[in-house]
Amino acid sequence: MEKMLRDKKAIFLFTFPTFLLFTIIVVLPIFFSIHYSTLDWDGFSKGVFVGFTNYKNLFVNNTDGFLQSVANSLVLALISVGIQLPISLLLALILARGIKGERFFRTVYFIPVIISTVVIGQLWMKIYNSDYGMLNGVLRAVGLDSLTNAWLADSKTALACVFAAMLWQYVGYHMLLLYAGAKSISPDIYEAARIDGASELKIAFHITIPLMKSILCVCIIFAVTGSFKAFDLIYVMTGGGPLHSTEVPTTLMYTTIFSRYQYGYGSAMAIFIIAECLVFTLVIKRLFSNDQDEA
Amino acid sequence: MKAKHLFAGILSLSVLLTTVTACAGSPNASSAQSTENSSQAGTASQSAPAEKITLTFWNNYTNDTQHTMENTIKQWNSDHPNIQIEASSTENNAYKTKIKTAIAADSAPDIIYTWAGGFTEPFVKAGKILPLDDYLNDGTKDKLLSGALTNITFDGKVYGLTYNQQAGALYVNNDLFEQNGVKVPTTFDELLTAVKTFKSKGITPMTVGEKDEWPGMWYYDMIALREGGAQLCLDALNKKESYDQTAFAEAAQKLQDLVDAGAFPKDVLGVTRDESVAMFTQGKIPMYFGGNFDAQVIDDSLKGKVSAVKFPTIAGAKGTDTEYLGGGADALCVSANSKHKDEAVQAIKYLASEFSSGMYLTGGGLPEWKYDSLDQSKIDPLSKEIMENIVKGSTGSVPAWDLYLTGDDAQTHLDLVQSLFGKQISPQDFAKQMQQKVNKS
Repeated sequence: MEKMLRDKKAIFLFTFPTFLLFTIIVVLPIFFSIHYSTLDWDGFSKGVFVGFTNYKNLFVNNTDGFLQSVANSLVLALISVGIQLPISLLLALILARGIKGERFFRTVYFIPVIISTVVIGQLWMKIYNSDYGMLNGVLRAVGLDSLTNAWLADSKTALACVFAAMLWQYVGYHMLLLYAGAKSISPDIYEAARIDGASELKIAFHITIPLMKSILCVCIIFAVTGSFKAFDLIYVMTGGGPLHSTEVPTTLMYTTIFSRYQYGYGSAMAIFIIAECLVFTLVIKRLFSNDQDEA
Repeated sequence: MKAKHLFAGILSLSVLLTTVTACAGSPNASSAQSTENSSQAGTASQSAPAEKITLTFWNNYTNDTQHTMENTIKQWNSDHPNIQIEASSTENNAYKTKIKTAIAADSAPDIIYTWAGGFTEPFVKAGKILPLDDYLNDGTKDKLLSGALTNITFDGKVYGLTYNQQAGALYVNNDLFEQNGVKVPTTFDELLTAVKTFKSKGITPMTVGEKDEWPGMWYYDMIALREGGAQLCLDALNKKESYDQTAFAEAAQKLQDLVDAGAFPKDVLGVTRDESVAMFTQGKIPMYFGGNFDAQVIDDSLKGKVSAVKFPTIAGAKGTDTEYLGGGADALCVSANSKHKDEAVQAIKYLASEFSSGMYLTGGGLPEWKYDSLDQSKIDPLSKEIMENIVKGSTGSVPAWDLYLTGDDAQTHLDLVQSLFGKQISPQDFAKQMQQKVNKS
């Protein structure tokens, strides 16, 4: 094994195919997109080089609400980390303790992750429907008729409603990651802690969670970048509407490219999303590694 | 631990990067595909015996009307063993990109499906479409309805044959009108009265699938037609007139009057077009303004209970009740680069006339070719009503604006109309922004 790792040829042989694929499928398209983002291009005729005009239109002379959509995605990232992950962590810790029906609950919580997003979108649209929806039905049943609403059609409530569905969808996903992290901690440590008389809460906060730091870091990165590139559920449920109230950068990019035929401008949005995700990933990782050095 | 971090980071990044950049490669892919298609077609026609030729035909026939088209093409192919049509269908929106790319790259098929009007104009200007005038004096023109070629004529020359047109109609549920003692409106004031009467009886008067944006635009474009008349609308769409004038602001005001009067359900911004049609076909809603393409499904569920009438006129406005929203939409053209121009023209004459009757019979569209020889009893009754009451004897028509305006402008118009429904802008601002954003150049 050691011999093989020293063999430069072997290293090249094993890593080159992946490197090649990665370059062709990921790196090259990014550079193409960067190139497109400097063009005034409708997607089929010849593009005209316009330098940074597209970026200027995004941030300085913006008219299509791009900044608002970025703000929306930041809110989504914030509540993903602040609400979704704690719920996932709680569920993971409870399940990892080996409660009765552990496997059953693990499967149940994971179901939304397996179901197609379109199905989930339809499901929640039925819940929010103002006419026969479950939410309004429940409100009427308990006499709160005044609170009933056309949830997804009201630009004041649509965003919160869509976000709720998105949080629900991925709780199980993060739970599974965290659950695996919690399970991989050696039982010896718990045993020692119990002998020393630590309570369950103390064990959770002082042993389990600190030891899960690396997987927590991964979860936070997934949650944050996932929020920035969220598209499918929003597209199915509202398409960015009503009146652009649920627009995030990806949905805006979609209409810009495919309805407005502004490939250059849309590519600038894509590049922004990539840069945003990269920066946040690096920052989050830096925060966690600092933490680890101190500890 | 570090390695695990790194790996997870790379993994997550690569996943998101591929998602984000996936769309960037598509224009290249589609052009590559189209050149491949055309080269295949080229070799096919070369390798075939000298007398046998193949005509390529690209279209967007992927929905339920495709059977009419398929059967017609089959019929042609069995009648003409030496002129075979090779059809290739692409989904509607993808087709727009595909055909534009192919025409720009001079790899267009022999026969091109297109939308008459603004969509075709750039191809004609670039000299990519064959003018048909020399071919049409064999009596073909007499077989077409008057006005059928208006939207496909540029600078006095005909560039294609239309076979299907759209027309907006106000569908009224006669049962609901009778039960509630309401008069079917012929003026806008009567429409408002009808709305208020239904509303007071707890019935939602109208509906629209404004989540999809374009159905609401049909309402606005129709009211604008009544307010300003066909000529003014066409001039504005052709950038010869300003949108920032009373007629267009007044039309926006009328639409908001309807919204204010409670004409639409309160969740109208979240309703899709299919849901809105369903509300009407369930017999819950007395009025629905839609296109002839809604006729078939309405007929299926409310047979005999629904009439298609003209949209109400506005007192003192320029528009008359003989103008309608719609007009020639679907057309067939021949590529100027086609190697078999004569055969291709011969083929589109047959296809267009057959498609025209075929779609009319099945309720899929309104004809552009004379239809007297068709078995009148077999025609979809509501389509027939639209044809007889709204299209026949008309003095002018304006296509739905999103067919006329291209990509960005169409989307801006759709968004602005949605803002009217959501009461986010005033009618004056609507007119101003239409002028600033759509007519800027």
